[in-house]
Amino acid sequence: MEDQILALTAELAAVKSAAQVTNTMFAEAYYYLTIPLMVIIHAGFLLYEMGQTRVKNVLSSGIKNLLAFAFTIITFYLFGWWFYWALPTFPVTSLTAAAGYMEISGLAYASAIALPWGDSAQYMGPNMADHASGVFWGAFALFAATTASIASGALIERIQTVGFVICAIVLGSFAWVVAAAWGWHADGWLVTEFGFHDFGAAGLVHAVAGFFALGILVNLGPRVGKFNADGSANKISGHNLPLTVTGLMLIIVGFFGFLMACIILPGEGWSWYADQGTTIYGTPMTLSALAFNVCLAASGGIIGAWVFTKDPFWMMSGCLAGIISVASGLDVYFGSHVIIISLVAGMILKPCADWVESLGIDDAVGAVTVHGTIGLFGVVVLGVFGSGIPGLGAFAPEGTVAISLYGQIVGAVVMFLLGFVPGYIVSWLVHKAGMLRIPEAVQIRGLDVVKVPAQAYPESMVSDESDSK
Amino acid sequence: MGYFAESFSELYNAEGWIDMGMYIGAGSSMPGWYTVIASVMLVAILVKGNNDEQDHYK
Repeated sequence: MEDQILALTAELAAVKSAAQVTNTMFAEAYYYLTIPLMVIIHAGFLLYEMGQTRVKNVLSSGIKNLLAFAFTIITFYLFGWWFYWALPTFPVTSLTAAAGYMEISGLAYASAIALPWGDSAQYMGPNMADHASGVFWGAFALFAATTASIASGALIERIQTVGFVICAIVLGSFAWVVAAAWGWHADGWLVTEFGFHDFGAAGLVHAVAGFFALGILVNLGPRVGKFNADGSANKISGHNLPLTVTGLMLIIVGFFGFLMACIILPGEGWSWYADQGTTIYGTPMTLSALAFNVCLAASGGIIGAWVFTKDPFWMMSGCLAGIISVASGLDVYFGSHVIIISLVAGMILKPCADWVESLGIDDAVGAVTVHGTIGLFGVVVLGVFGSGIPGLGAFAPEGTVAISLYGQIVGAVVMFLLGFVPGYIVSWLVHKAGMLRIPEAVQIRGLDVVKVPAQAYPESMVSDESDSK
Repeated sequence: MGYFAESFSELYNAEGWIDMGMYIGAGSSMPGWYTVIASVMLVAILVKGNNDEQDHYK
């Protein structure tokens, strides 16, 4: 009898061990697959941006977009990942960036797991006992690259390549990372002190990137020919609207990967619970909730934008805006909430973009509005609908602050500042170094003929605005 | 410069794989030096890229 019990115990342990292996491998594969899905976002941004560019500049726009992706990924490895783990409590709950309640933050913790040198290097490369660090890093690196791509489109046809790359590094490997540390981490002070909630990163990715772009645009100035002497704006059409609209649809495809990467799977040492997935805050979340709400938001945004514009560019931008408008609360909204909010987001999109343009800002793709304004709209709207919802999961410290309108407004202000201020400062410095704006003669002639050793299209499609051959 | 083990049986036991970095230079200062070299290369590439770009605009 005793032998049988021992045998059964051993068998049970083996079964549990096998189940854990399956769970671990599933979790690793889950996050790994979000990475190529998010690369689709970049394929989309590439098409979107190149389509919105005139023929004479199309390859230059593509080069800029590709370099933003590449430099952001590498610098996020070198130092961006460290900022995320180091800064959650700084400077509000700890001036010395000490560890927070969950003990997964602070200078010492970040230096132990997120630097590509010293002892922490064991978690920044191959390690058979670590199936999480690389895939989490990869997902975050793609979030980082997304911020750079968001800003990229607004600046086309007159920003220098290297100057833009420097701005993209600051955005992708610093500005948004600080926002994520503060508002997208269980120890983040915006979460613990203000109950800030932003499940799908409407504020900390989209708003930060959108307003970072605005900060650059202020220093960069408009494209040659965008504004008349009386201040009125001219429409500068891109060379391929179907490419742009298809790109936008690919961004939406990638968003499903982006958002599934925002879920914390169960059953691992880093999970909140053994049996259920959660948000990054440890609050309830399922892929099913995403399926309902993302599909509805995309549809609501398209319809909302169609009401006033009838323009496929703005309809697909509305699709993006619909998702961004509900991203903060995708985990708590009911489907009909989502329809209402995303319809409104789609409807206000074009008037908001027109208002930005009336200020003399030449945002070539509407990124400031789609990502910046609508991102903040989404953050604040969650405060309206979601006040009182617990801010953290079941293992949070007592007295955890709940979601509130006040907390969401504080978060929105912080996200605006984390975008605009670094964007303005770094672009001002780059401008002073003579590396920001392309000379007007080159803009008029066309960027591709000046600096790209390739042609986008056969001779029959060369722009009549350029002497490019 | 080399790999840190001569046999993978040194790294795998009844508890499973040892929890450590398993790449060239693991456990030494080499990863840090590779990081320095990579960083310097990136900065140099940006400088060269900017010089080339400014030449185009002249």
